[in-house]
Amino acid sequence: MKKNMFMLLAFSLVLLLSACTSGTAGDSSESSVDGNDPTSPKKDSLVVAYEADAATLMANIDVNYVTDAQIRNIYDPLIDRDGKTGDFVPVLAESWENVDEHTWKIQLKEGIKFHNGADFNAEAAKYSIDFILDEANQSFYRSRWVDVKEVKVISPTEIEIITSKPFPSLIQRIAEDLLVIEPGYVEEVGLDEAAKKPVGTGAYKFVEWSRDNYLKLEAFDEYWKGKPAIKSLEFRYIPEFSARLSAFLSGEVDLFKNIPVDSVDSITNDDHSKVAEVASARINYLALNNFYEGPLQDEKVRQAINYAVDVDELLNGVLNGHGTKMTGPLSQINNDYTETAEYGYDVEKAKALLKEAGHEPESLTLTLDTPNGRYPMDTQIAQAIASQLQRIGITVNVQTNEWGNHLEKIRNREMKDMFILGWGPAFDAQSTVENLFTKVAPYSGFYDEELEKEIYRVNQLFDEQERFDGFSDLQHKLVEKAAWVPLWQQSDLYAVRKDLKFTPRVDEKIQAYEMSWE
Amino acid sequence: MLDFIIKRLLQVILVVFLALTAVFFLIRLSGDPTALFLPPDAPREQIEEYRELLGFNRPLQDQYADFMVNAVQGDFGESLRSQEDALQLVIDRLPATFQLAIAALILSLVIAIPLGVLSAYKRNSFFDRIGVGLTVLGQAVPNFWLGLILIFFFAAQLKLLPTGGGGTLVHLILPTITLATYSIARFTRFTRSSMLDILRKDYIRTAKASGVPTFPLVARFALKNSLIPIITLIALDLGTLLGGAVITEVVFAWPGIGRLLMQSLMNRDFPIVLAAVFIIALIYAIINFIADILYAYVNPQIRVK
Repeated sequence: MKKNMFMLLAFSLVLLLSACTSGTAGDSSESSVDGNDPTSPKKDSLVVAYEADAATLMANIDVNYVTDAQIRNIYDPLIDRDGKTGDFVPVLAESWENVDEHTWKIQLKEGIKFHNGADFNAEAAKYSIDFILDEANQSFYRSRWVDVKEVKVISPTEIEIITSKPFPSLIQRIAEDLLVIEPGYVEEVGLDEAAKKPVGTGAYKFVEWSRDNYLKLEAFDEYWKGKPAIKSLEFRYIPEFSARLSAFLSGEVDLFKNIPVDSVDSITNDDHSKVAEVASARINYLALNNFYEGPLQDEKVRQAINYAVDVDELLNGVLNGHGTKMTGPLSQINNDYTETAEYGYDVEKAKALLKEAGHEPESLTLTLDTPNGRYPMDTQIAQAIASQLQRIGITVNVQTNEWGNHLEKIRNREMKDMFILGWGPAFDAQSTVENLFTKVAPYSGFYDEELEKEIYRVNQLFDEQERFDGFSDLQHKLVEKAAWVPLWQQSDLYAVRKDLKFTPRVDEKIQAYEMSWE
Repeated sequence: MLDFIIKRLLQVILVVFLALTAVFFLIRLSGDPTALFLPPDAPREQIEEYRELLGFNRPLQDQYADFMVNAVQGDFGESLRSQEDALQLVIDRLPATFQLAIAALILSLVIAIPLGVLSAYKRNSFFDRIGVGLTVLGQAVPNFWLGLILIFFFAAQLKLLPTGGGGTLVHLILPTITLATYSIARFTRFTRSSMLDILRKDYIRTAKASGVPTFPLVARFALKNSLIPIITLIALDLGTLLGGAVITEVVFAWPGIGRLLMQSLMNRDFPIVLAAVFIIALIYAIINFIADILYAYVNPQIRVK
């Protein structure tokens, strides 16, 4: 009797579960459990997993990379960066020209259509820039564009951008921020609707967006560069990493970014999967805060810490080699990179410098703030740095912060001696140096009055060689003054289905148009 | 009866009001959200401009007063990140959360009640002991861990079920089991002890003595009476299921309120957090209100008191 009842229960549970499945058994495309089936016809769909949904599908509003990486499949920029070199390449623009310090001319391509059939032209380009500048749209990009005074339509294929101040980095702003929207469509349906059902000139057309669930796109066959090889593209949102990994290993997902370095093996060991790696334009560093009244205001102490931190050991021991070492303020991928002297690991020099500065290492107690999970192994790196500094006698208290708090502490200048932070994508010197090493910018915790003057002078230079030399000189000086401890360019690690032709881009973007199945 | 209903209704309002007040001040302790929305190179003036635009630079009590005045009219403001109506964003997620909570509730009742009855009836047997052991385990296992283990086995290894996401019934299976585990354990224990009480009653003994067969005895005489207190428990648990769904929703990428709440907390999207808390507190209070009324209806003693 006992046994029978139990069996009955077990049976009814199985029945209940199977009742749930049978209703949707025909819906095999949904459950995509067949992802790894070698007998299935040639695949032409792609599922990309992200940790979070896009905030909006409207271009030019949200600065978050998760939003940007997705909507760049729907909208095209005027100018883009080359996925390998980071150089500027024309997209909807044909060419550009700097007329004088306050004027830029941009020639546009002809014959390109939006998904709704409207023509791309100078009006659309102007509208897209004006969109950022219009306060009513609450674009988070606006602060970067406030120096743009006016956009003039010269002809259907030419616009002129007038700036209120010399704006040498305008092309970079265009490449990184600006996507082209269809004015007629936005005017017709309104901003709210356009933000939910976007129209662009990109390789993929909008199909369906289920909030916090998925975004489905399909190939735009009249795409001006030609038909995309991948016909349907889906972004799926899986917040929890382990679940994302499981979804990938089960074949539901074909591609996702940001594998923790300690999970790389579980992907390389899978027969259907591979790991793609690229040194990204995002850099990680240990900030030595001289805004804070403490020992790090002394150049010698900062130099000593540079000698005492063994970056190679951190890279190999904590990151399993997934990162590219840096020695100065800029990474090699940066257009304005100059090779600078390297401090190297030298405990004796570190101790000697501390003594010169009047400190017994044993008497020094420093704090080190780190976010948790924002950058690869950030907390572990902070702990490893603490133990390296411990070797020369310095006591380091590691403080782990939730990301929002970490950022706020930096912005409010509440950080103490040291903190870990990343910056990127850092393609050119100005956006890195100006935003990191001036008094108004708290992100490196370093500022020097003379260097600041020099930074502002070089920023205004238009002559390419002069500008390059200026930044080159600045890089050397920043290293001499031990502005920070440069760590590495982050490695972007992607989990990729083995037969997907995919080359990771240096700018973290996922462009389905560049991919295909073997 | 009317007095009773009015009193309970006032309690609903008070609960929601207190929850909103507590959360309003608590999330502001976490800091200023503007830092997270603007690009890192945004100049100080622009941060200030945004703080002013969003009202974060005003005295806290003024912000609170404004918030309450608007909230009473159903206006929780716009999401800081997507500039959409916060309350609408939350309401859009409601069906998914309800679907999961109700599926979990049904699953727990279907399993727990027979199990509890059987355990009580076969008290101290091998089956009973295993059952009691399992319920302890079921109450102790953390949701997120169980969820990941289920994903690992049924989705990643066996490839029988999807790892997460929403939309179809297949997607519902694993999160439902995960979410229901705790309730199954709780309901089983409760049914068991409630049944044990009833089985000791004189009228059961009399019925048994007068030859009523086992099944009708248990089902008709004992179970019916032991289920009365379970109504309250179901109400409380439905509330817990709706709230406890936060973690399950995140693990299974289920597009419900819990996940929206979690994400908005991380992003410090205050209007969404408050709108979500409002909805969750309201549902919780209303379910309990209904349970109270129902309870009074089935059990006249309460009304009389």
